[in-house]
Amino acid sequence: MSRAGYAVWVAAVVTTCGAAPVAAQPITYRGFVEARGVVFPQDTFNDTQNVVADFLGRSELFAQPRQWLQLAAGAELRANSHDQVDDRWRPDIADRGTLRPRVSIRRLTATLTRGPLTLDAGKQFVRWGKTDIVTPTDRFAPRDFVNVIDNDFLPVRGVRGVLEIGAHTLDAVLLPFFTPSRLPLFDQRWTPVGGGFIGREQDPSFPERSQAGVRWGYAGSGYDFSVSFFDGFNHLPNIEPDVSYGPPSIVAGSIGPIEIPIRKGYPALRMYGGDAAVPTRWFTLKGEVGSFTSSTPLSDDFVLYVVQLERQKGEWVFVGGYAGEAVTARRAQNAFAPDRGTSKSFIGRASYTIDVNRSAAIEGAVRQNGDGVYAKGEFSQARGSHWRVTVSGVFIRGEPDDFIGQFRLNSHVALALRYSF
Amino acid sequence: MSRSGRPVGSGRSGGSLLLIALLSVAQLWAQDARAIVAEAQRRTASQSQHYEGLLQVFDSKGTIADKRWTLDRIGSHGNSKTILRFTVPAEVKGVALLVVNHPNRASDQWMWTPGIERDRRIALQDRSQRFFGTDFSFEDMEERDVDQFDYTLAGEEDVEGAACWRIESVPKQTKTSQYTRSIVWVRKETYTAARIDNYVKNEVVRRLIYSDLQNVQGIWTARRLEMSDLRRGSRTRLTLDKLVYNLPMKDEDFTLQALRRP
Repeated sequence: MSRAGYAVWVAAVVTTCGAAPVAAQPITYRGFVEARGVVFPQDTFNDTQNVVADFLGRSELFAQPRQWLQLAAGAELRANSHDQVDDRWRPDIADRGTLRPRVSIRRLTATLTRGPLTLDAGKQFVRWGKTDIVTPTDRFAPRDFVNVIDNDFLPVRGVRGVLEIGAHTLDAVLLPFFTPSRLPLFDQRWTPVGGGFIGREQDPSFPERSQAGVRWGYAGSGYDFSVSFFDGFNHLPNIEPDVSYGPPSIVAGSIGPIEIPIRKGYPALRMYGGDAAVPTRWFTLKGEVGSFTSSTPLSDDFVLYVVQLERQKGEWVFVGGYAGEAVTARRAQNAFAPDRGTSKSFIGRASYTIDVNRSAAIEGAVRQNGDGVYAKGEFSQARGSHWRVTVSGVFIRGEPDDFIGQFRLNSHVALALRYSF
Repeated sequence: MSRSGRPVGSGRSGGSLLLIALLSVAQLWAQDARAIVAEAQRRTASQSQHYEGLLQVFDSKGTIADKRWTLDRIGSHGNSKTILRFTVPAEVKGVALLVVNHPNRASDQWMWTPGIERDRRIALQDRSQRFFGTDFSFEDMEERDVDQFDYTLAGEEDVEGAACWRIESVPKQTKTSQYTRSIVWVRKETYTAARIDNYVKNEVVRRLIYSDLQNVQGIWTARRLEMSDLRRGSRTRLTLDKLVYNLPMKDEDFTLQALRRP
């Protein structure tokens, strides 16, 4: 569907909504505005800005003009002191830009319900899988990795049908439009560089073929499991020097970094996956596995798996586990892959509810070879029904050639103030 | 003859009669207790229920935090399904809980968190945890069913001036529960619960008081429920607003797919 076609479809949905009697529309909304400041004590080769301020406003509106029809719309407004946000005010619906959009349509969905069938069409979120830390089967959930540690999910555009009969669920997804994960900016600290080189992204190209997936789930008495299949593209790209632009240009006398033309390629990906959650007497055992193959040259075939334990005790919630990877065919040169990058790691999180308004949490990841360590502590305090302040500190150490360790200069503290409505 | 000079058969017979008499009384009381609870359940049965709840959480220092939810229930007691959605405070707006009750075992529960767009099953061993910072636990969000417990009539007592039966209920083996037993006070006049003391071993850990009794569409309903966590020293008051019974509702609005619809 072209952009114009999509606009017509959206207009039709809005018109349908408008034609319904106002009295029959229960309307709900939710949202927040958040100001956030981050202090990085250390400089990196490509980034010496130590203080970054960020603003995010998000609002979502839900209406039900008919018993069988629900409409949802959501938008975001962003600003940033470190050039992470596009200057243009044009509302962005594709979420394909290198920069975060100033204004974006976060959600635009029509949900039709007929008996056991639910159909969602439009811009929406699709989440698969059961584990929390690394989710191998969550293939329709690209993320914004501009700040790798504090990433957020991006919506996708397409159609989702779910048939729920008793304990069985059949979930089918078709995405005609590809949404990539948003990568760290090449000239900023979350793209670690060495040796005086900086990447410069050339005109992006995205897969044009649709993506599809199907998942069957069963919720038994006290346990859940599902199996899934996905055929599409990896929303995390391979990163290759673009030789069509010639060798890197070195300006005589220049003392700045050398720019290398970079091309992002999104490899074809097929996944066979499964996930399960089994509560035992002492904890809940969760597992998830995905086996990935690719027909794209220079892309790996691999298996990602996660085993996770969960337990609540008093005011504590504990989650801990191991994420592993087995490469069955190694072909890739360079790829930005936080899912694979955080595998072969022991990962854990503990949160504590101090009282009705205050909570604290710590989380961490340690590579099994000890080459990368990440730890985060967070304290959060609510004030009244709307305000919340959150203070967090992130500590990262490791080797430059380790996925976690490469961000060793990016330890930081952050202060966020949020007003929810 | 026995050494005491009494005929053995006579003594055994007398003991048996006493035992039989005691068992009969106990059985009668047990039957009465079960009958009372069954009658209470019959009188509160409805096809559906809807209300808007105001939750006020008072911690041990007296600090108040307000939360609000809407609750829809289809069916009654062990054959019911409930969806509960938070509306206040703003930061938890949209968080929802689906409870599928069963007549013969513990409920199945799933929680939807819009912030991460995912549902999560609440494991049985986590049901004793506090429900969203309130003094209700996840298990307390279940609908109790008469067939899930064994009952004993433990006496009669007044609760806030109302004559009540005092009934001990012990969960059956098939009903996984954090509570070892509960003492339930049932008002004689209306067959409604007045108070429940929930025990873990021999300690009362949570106390639920029902008050502000009103007849809504022929069903006597407590409009105010106050749950105290006696170990934490905190309490949560739930006030039921806009309570309506027997609204038309559909089964398909009580599924995992319905849970993620705001």
